[in-house]
Amino acid sequence: NAKVVTALYDRRYAVEDVPFSVPAASEITDLSHLINKLLAASSADHKYVEFDFLINGQFLRMPLVTHMEMENISTEEVVEIEYVEKYMAPQPEECIFHDDWISSVQATEEWILTGCYDQTAQIWSLEGKSVMKIAGHTEVVKDVAWVKQDSLSCLLLSASMDQTVLLWEWNVEKNKVKALHCCRGHAGSVETIAVDGTRTKFCSGSWDKMLKIWSAVPTDEEDEMEEAANRPRKKQKTEQLGLTRTPLATLSGHTEAVSSVLWSDAEEICSASWDHTIKLWDVETGDLKSTLTGNKVFNSVSYSPLCRRLASGSTDRHIRLWDPRSKDGSLVLLSLTSHTGWVTSVKWSPTHEHQLISGSLDNIVKLWDTRSCKAPLYDLAAHEDKVLCVDWTEAGLLLSGGADNKLYCYRYPATASDVGA
Amino acid sequence: PLPPLTPLPSSPLQDIRNTVGNIPMEWYQDFPHIGYNLDGKKIYKPIRNKDELDMFLEKMENPDYWRTVQDKMTGADIKLTDEQVDLVHRLQKGQFGDVHFNPYEPAIDFFTHEVMIHPVTNRPADKRSFIPSLIEKEKVSKLVHAIKMGWIKPRKPKDDTPTYYDLWAHEDPNSILGRHKMHVPAPKMKLPGHEESYNPPPEYLLSEEEKLAWEQQEPVERKLNFVPQQFQCLRAVPAYPRFIHERFERCLDLYLCPRQRKMRVNVDPEDLIPKLPKPRDLQPFPTTQALIYCGHTSLVRCLSVSPSGQWLVSGSDDGTVRFWEVSTARCMKTLPVGGVVKSIAWNPNPTICLVALAVDQVVLLVNPGLGDKLLYGATDQLLESFVAPEEERVQPVRWMTATAEEHGRGIRLHIQHSKPVKQVTWHGKGDYLASVVADHSNMQVLIHQTSKRWSQNPFRKSKGLVQCVLFHPIRPYFFVATQRYVRVYNLLKQELTKKLMTNCKWVSSMAIHPGGDNIICGSYDSKLAWFDLDLSTRPYQLLRHHKKALRAVAFHRHYPLFASGSDDGTVIVCHGMVYNDLLQNPLLVPVKVLKGHVTTLDLGVLDVLFHPTQPWVFSSGADGTIRLYT
Repeated sequence: NAKVVTALYDRRYAVEDVPFSVPAASEITDLSHLINKLLAASSADHKYVEFDFLINGQFLRMPLVTHMEMENISTEEVVEIEYVEKYMAPQPEECIFHDDWISSVQATEEWILTGCYDQTAQIWSLEGKSVMKIAGHTEVVKDVAWVKQDSLSCLLLSASMDQTVLLWEWNVEKNKVKALHCCRGHAGSVETIAVDGTRTKFCSGSWDKMLKIWSAVPTDEEDEMEEAANRPRKKQKTEQLGLTRTPLATLSGHTEAVSSVLWSDAEEICSASWDHTIKLWDVETGDLKSTLTGNKVFNSVSYSPLCRRLASGSTDRHIRLWDPRSKDGSLVLLSLTSHTGWVTSVKWSPTHEHQLISGSLDNIVKLWDTRSCKAPLYDLAAHEDKVLCVDWTEAGLLLSGGADNKLYCYRYPATASDVGA
Repeated sequence: PLPPLTPLPSSPLQDIRNTVGNIPMEWYQDFPHIGYNLDGKKIYKPIRNKDELDMFLEKMENPDYWRTVQDKMTGADIKLTDEQVDLVHRLQKGQFGDVHFNPYEPAIDFFTHEVMIHPVTNRPADKRSFIPSLIEKEKVSKLVHAIKMGWIKPRKPKDDTPTYYDLWAHEDPNSILGRHKMHVPAPKMKLPGHEESYNPPPEYLLSEEEKLAWEQQEPVERKLNFVPQQFQCLRAVPAYPRFIHERFERCLDLYLCPRQRKMRVNVDPEDLIPKLPKPRDLQPFPTTQALIYCGHTSLVRCLSVSPSGQWLVSGSDDGTVRFWEVSTARCMKTLPVGGVVKSIAWNPNPTICLVALAVDQVVLLVNPGLGDKLLYGATDQLLESFVAPEEERVQPVRWMTATAEEHGRGIRLHIQHSKPVKQVTWHGKGDYLASVVADHSNMQVLIHQTSKRWSQNPFRKSKGLVQCVLFHPIRPYFFVATQRYVRVYNLLKQELTKKLMTNCKWVSSMAIHPGGDNIICGSYDSKLAWFDLDLSTRPYQLLRHHKKALRAVAFHRHYPLFASGSDDGTVIVCHGMVYNDLLQNPLLVPVKVLKGHVTTLDLGVLDVLFHPTQPWVFSSGADGTIRLYT
């Protein structure tokens, strides 16, 4: 029963800055009881709150003494144990049924946009009501993205295996959808699209190893296609799908298919590929800025402006965190390991610098805190088949879709202390 | 001067002189006489009839017995006189015989050494006695000259060779003499214990049952080769009854003792195992099952992957061909073909989008309509651009364009064979296609040219039941695997280049290294043979890792990997590094056993295939699934 003297402090639930002696065998619940007793002693109207504890930025997940043994912390010294209010479990909200596999999802405050393997993109309300089914692609829709949202009309994008990206205008009031532009130029299925911060450009990555940057502003003019001498049958199709648009720029450098793309900055694109690299591009010049080399195929990449880290999901069990600004190129900061299948999709929390969500082929969606890299905060095991996409909105909504044709929504209450963090 | 030893006349009557002279008297041993007297009469030997007793009595009684000797010449007894006895005594002492001879008479010094004051001559010493001799000087100068000229060596160089040397210093230990050194000491005998005692403690004595058991045992099996016996005292111990027998056996043992000494080589068995690198140093290779492609309802016989690695096509016994998206295991298309799909091959040319599949007696060419629209459009145009030649040529097969309904499903061409087709494979350029027909005639292998819709039979004679065929990836070679041999043909020269002996009973599958110099063959007797074509026509290595028949083997296009699938439901991935250096042999290390397929109907894995760009392996099984290991 080693003597552990701890200094405990917090922002909201502040207690006196006095070292306490805690039994070494105590677990989270014991420590939590201790804090609650202290708080109750200081203020009469205190309600019981569950806490989580951090030692040197690592979550305490086992008895204190074992944790300290693992981390090589001496039990003789005063150890600072930080505590935060325990994150509540995500609350399941909706389960939206689709007709086919869900390849991609992106949600805003009001609407959820999903791409589906039945060659359509679909708009749903947050309550799970089908609002709009956008049909137009001749192949599987692989990715969708919102461009702009007004109360009257919305602009949205859908990328498909038929090598095109379609820019749609959705009139909310009339609930009508119209294909404004058909972005042609890729020679393989378009796997991923990302809209930049100014909402005027977007980037697409494809199986033909190319990244292409397009304008997202609707115009009335049609760009001239170089291969205009196509057969008339094909021409007819394009007429239905709106005006043809050609790319502003093409970024080539990957040697395999591009699987995921995002704008990490106003003028910087980050792309993950099957050639085991994540590349950072300068949009202005079209140059390659740096390359992060892994040793597995990358399925998905996500960037958090809060902590300036990249999270990548690849064709193994690990989620890896990268520092895109590291000069030596391939520094993996941290691996989060708990999945048992490929990690198909990762997404950072837009509001919390430590949290991210990941979906995997082992049918489980996991909610992670980077301070606890051995075990996730929560497992969301609702899917019955492969999880293909996840999303996290600013309002605290977790979305995941997969091969079981279901889109699950969870409400994740972000505690006030998290926002403060 | 010795006085002559004259025989004194003992009696005046007898003057017997023997005249035979100085001869050995033994000559007269056998005669009654001993010689002849002066008158020529025989002298007879005196009669000696004295017996021992008489002799003894005479010895005792005769006081002169000691001075009586026998005269050899006459045989008579002579009594020595006092003078004679005295002479004998003197001679015995080593003194002169003459009593009056004085050996120590005073010496007269005639030639004295003392220098007298009045010398005989008073001549002064010669001059030559004190000046150097000219003759000697001449002799010395001659010698010096001879030494200077090197005619004579002043001092003989010392002979360094030792007088004595170790005779056995450089002796070969294996020679006959060396064998003596290898003395094998006899094994030490066990010291006698209590049971050998004449009066052993009672616990060492055998009971009746034990004795019975001892008697029934084979002599070699007995723990003790004697029965302990008890005697009251040492005196009561009888003679050892088995002594002769034991000596005899000992002699037999010596006779049969191996004289050859067995030289034991002191080798650590670990050293004999070749040093292979650890599998984890040979990353990347597939390690875990990542995806399962479910959808087929019967066993999936064949797999093929598009050159880009985006699509996978599989043919099954349920009469369908399915196209899958590799990354998600999504079945994109299902094409019913109405028969068991025996073999399937995606055109390796990345600019052509065409899949060949063998269904019953037909080889179908299918445009899957996946991937780049321009590509599959161009493929259709290429197929449609065929113009039939004016004169009909005799072909072993019939080429037919698909009907409109089939065209809608993707089928473009039929190649109708006369017998069921076992295998189809493309040439690397994507224009030529080889098919294997299950037949015993010379029509087993056919080569088709897609662009000209022209088929030919390259072989005039059948060399056995063809199992599979393969095009060389770079050079114009063609590999034909029959049951036991792989024949390599040069297509340009139209001749047999090589014949590889597989050492297997029945070859099932074959794959070629992308470099083109190495081949692996899987066989139904669960062996995998690796051939280095530059090295030998026999297998460079024969791997026996599988427990059951091998069904499929595959090489990776970029990574140094090869895989084999077997009826035991496993896929074994091996590292197969081929070096550019011709002196270095390929390095083969088994790295991973991949399990996952359920064995159904005694069949496990039916086909294995590597992803064209990633270190991933696909396997199709009899359980109707396709699995991807990464």
